[in-house]
Amino acid sequence: MLILLVEDDQPLAASIAGVLGAQGWRVDASRNGEPVPASLLRDDYDALVLDIGLPGIDGLETLRRVRAQGSRLPVLMLTARDTVEQRVHGLEVGADDYLVKPFAPVELVARLRALTRRHENRVAEVLSVGQLRFDPKALRAWVRDEPVKLSRRECDILQYLMLKAGRVVQREQLVALVPGWSGATSDNALDLLVSRLRTKIEPAGVRLRTVRGLGYLLDAGDGT
Amino acid sequence: MTTAPPPASSLRRTLLRWLILPLVALVPLSAAVVYALAVRPALDGLDRALTDTAVALNGILEVHDGQATLPLSAQTLRALRADLVDEVAFVVGDAQGQPLGGDTALLAFAPPLAAGQWRFFNATLRGRHMRAAAYGARCGEAAQVCTILVAESLGKREDAERAVAWAALAAAVLLALSLSLLAVVAVRRGLRPLQRASVDMGSRSLQRLDPIEPASVPREVAPFVTALNDLFARLRLAASAQRAFVEDAAHQLRTPLSTLRVESAQALAQPCPPELQPTLQRLHAAAERGAHLVQQLLTLARADGAALGAGTPLARVDLAALAAAAADDWLHPALAAGQDLGFDLEPAWVDGDALLLRELLGNLIHNAIEHAGAGARITVRTRAEAAHALLQVVDDGRGLPADELPQVWDRFRRGAGAGGLGTGLGLAIVRDIARLHGGDAALQPGTEGSGIAATVTLPCSPEPVANLS
Repeated sequence: MLILLVEDDQPLAASIAGVLGAQGWRVDASRNGEPVPASLLRDDYDALVLDIGLPGIDGLETLRRVRAQGSRLPVLMLTARDTVEQRVHGLEVGADDYLVKPFAPVELVARLRALTRRHENRVAEVLSVGQLRFDPKALRAWVRDEPVKLSRRECDILQYLMLKAGRVVQREQLVALVPGWSGATSDNALDLLVSRLRTKIEPAGVRLRTVRGLGYLLDAGDGT
Repeated sequence: MTTAPPPASSLRRTLLRWLILPLVALVPLSAAVVYALAVRPALDGLDRALTDTAVALNGILEVHDGQATLPLSAQTLRALRADLVDEVAFVVGDAQGQPLGGDTALLAFAPPLAAGQWRFFNATLRGRHMRAAAYGARCGEAAQVCTILVAESLGKREDAERAVAWAALAAAVLLALSLSLLAVVAVRRGLRPLQRASVDMGSRSLQRLDPIEPASVPREVAPFVTALNDLFARLRLAASAQRAFVEDAAHQLRTPLSTLRVESAQALAQPCPPELQPTLQRLHAAAERGAHLVQQLLTLARADGAALGAGTPLARVDLAALAAAAADDWLHPALAAGQDLGFDLEPAWVDGDALLLRELLGNLIHNAIEHAGAGARITVRTRAEAAHALLQVVDDGRGLPADELPQVWDRFRRGAGAGGLGTGLGLAIVRDIARLHGGDAALQPGTEGSGIAATVTLPCSPEPVANLS
């Protein structure tokens, strides 16, 4: 994976490069925002890690220019200002996610991994989480390359969970996927459906967790 | 809060003392003056009535050949002595002082008189105090002066004196009472603007330091209020400078702390000599705690800051949605601590600063994860009650000794069993944010006999009408 890191604080840039490098990812670092749009056109990056407080044009303006040239690259913003944090949180500026300094390195890696996976899943024909793959067009799934038979409803729910992998999906969102489902009776039906799905996909090493009182969480099982 | 000692002097008491005490002293004095002025004409009138009798006697007095006589019929005598109240006595003496008629004993009091002269005096006749009028009547030759004396007992006079005294006293007392009443009312009304100003002053805090409108207080107090407003302005400046400093310091600390945090974690992950391992672990723990502390300080600075809505606009926030959004942040830490983080959410709308409310909830969940211990069940609950929105984080963990519960709210105060990342600011932040929103926070022992139930109560707002995003 190739990542463009824009951070003006040299010690922190070096640290982040070290963390990402330890994941086997390659990192290009820049101290300013100005050259970023051109760099993105020149090289095929998988993600952009962008500090907001930069000398010259700041991270938000950089991001605006990046989006203006049509790039849909996953962008993770780094911020030391809560006021900006809120704006970024609203994702008005087109960031995919943000991290408030000081962040833990595992958090940085996890967010980047989730971002790139979501991005890949968005553009890919076949979704994948860990050893689980799913083809939304053909409605076919594979666990460790072994095909698994899924019902139509299981397919709908799996697709949704995989697109949101690593995040909590609320029950209401899943219930809304199934035509004709509503009210309390659908609750039991959903539990049953998810429980069947869990039995089928967990051999892939992924975890389909129940979040008590809220919904479900699909993660790759490696802590991300 | 400690109650202030009673003030050394009271404006109201001073005013009332200076108004009412002199009034009390002046009442007898004014009564005396009124009495003295009013009783004289009354007594003079009575004296004039005495002269009528004397003039009548003068008319009866006859002089033949230099010899004066008083031809009194029995009817005339009765008429002259007739009086409803008083005993009337009279006597007429000739120029030689020999009685011509009437009460002879009275003649002993006769003063020397010139012709046509009147004299009034008090006398005691047969043990009775009387008022007497004496008239020098011409009888016979020019030099001859007969004396006419008329006296009556003091009944009418005493009645008159009593009546005047009572009237004077009643008028004075009435005046004193009404003036005292007026003084009390006037002082109270006059001091009311001051009371309003002091109530206003009492409601002030570092969050509310806007100047007092000088037009709202009496002119006499305006300089005082202006001085206070100057003080407010300086306090505002100092408070915002302090806030800006804390915010700036925290922001500046964030970037180097990021480096420290990342590097310490990286160092721990590398193979290294075993004797270095504890050092690296301590270094990493310190970095983690520093990072957490910086975030807490920033939140505290913001919660301490200007009135709610000054920094970021107020928004209609659903606590249930807020809690659901927090699941992403806190599920993994809870799983890592071997805990079951669950939710029990019902819509509960409040008007607030979403960022601060998120910090509030984050602190409560963080606390529960830190203190409940492995295997604990943590539940985030939201409810809308009559006028309140409730946000609860309940765990069934180790709990806290009851005697520690009140102290956990103090800043930098950490429970005896606290460890890990706690900064001692979490609950202080929770309470600051709750109070900033017009609510409060409480910590009780858990509902099922173990653990802790942290409850935040906020004023409820109606659900927005068009809420579909």
